[in-house]
Amino acid sequence: MLKKSLLLGLVAGVLAGLASFIYQKVYTGALEADFSKVFSPVAVFASCLVGCLLASVGYWLLDKWMNGRADLVFNLLFAILSFVTILGPFAAKLPVSIESPELFPGLTVPMHFFPVLGWLTLKPAFIKK
Amino acid sequence: MKKIIFSMATLLLLAAVFAFTAVQAWQITDKYSINFTSDDASGIFKTFTGNIVFDEKNLGASAFDVNIDAASINTGNGLQNKHAKSDEWFDVAKYPSIKFVSSKIVQSGTGYQASGTLQLHGVSKEITIPFTVQKSGMGLTFTGSFSVNRNDYHIGKPGGDVGEVIKIDLSVPVVKK
Repeated sequence: MLKKSLLLGLVAGVLAGLASFIYQKVYTGALEADFSKVFSPVAVFASCLVGCLLASVGYWLLDKWMNGRADLVFNLLFAILSFVTILGPFAAKLPVSIESPELFPGLTVPMHFFPVLGWLTLKPAFIKK
Repeated sequence: MKKIIFSMATLLLLAAVFAFTAVQAWQITDKYSINFTSDDASGIFKTFTGNIVFDEKNLGASAFDVNIDAASINTGNGLQNKHAKSDEWFDVAKYPSIKFVSSKIVQSGTGYQASGTLQLHGVSKEITIPFTVQKSGMGLTFTGSFSVNRNDYHIGKPGGDVGEVIKIDLSVPVVKK
């Protein structure tokens, strides 16, 4: 179970990282907002991967402790945590040399939901009950 | 003949007077920085323009007439920028410019002091800005630092998280016009 969960986390993390990379390219191209000084694609990729792997470990632990209700609790927790993290981009103070900091949440907030989307979408393919 | 000599003499005299009083005008380069800091907020103003006339040997004829675009404020946070531009703070829709016009420039120790009127948020007050001048190639760099109390200019509400005394640091490189 842990192995399957971690594999799910790995694949979901890679896909979320890829989606974030594509979204960043599209956003930067469309709005000419360059946040590359504070926001490298490698860091985004690593964040997605770590987020999804942590989710996998969390799911495995919940599944061990809460037989039957783990899916509901985990899905709620993952969604709520993803929502809570969007406060970060709104509160972030960027270097003043960066133009248009008001466009920063528009870039990063959707990315905060890519891991949860990827993980929950791919879960049936990896974990069957 | 006398008329010609008189005209020539007058022209020479005028040229001499002009040469004596003409003071170098300077062009502000885009390498300037206008930073502000307080207890809770800090940032820059991105747009700075104006006329600078300065000669260390003729301070009486030297003058600053400079302008900051209040809407060019950047604190590094989009929400803070929006808040700073709102009517509670700089009210940039009503008061788009921050102006300083000097009335007197004097030497002070190794530097100088520019006294004049600072117009901010619709309030005009006399202030003195201490500054130094560094020569760099064909240009100069004016560097100054001073503080304003935002309550004097009715910016924001008294108290609160944002400090009432705002420190402003200026660095303005210029080249000959």
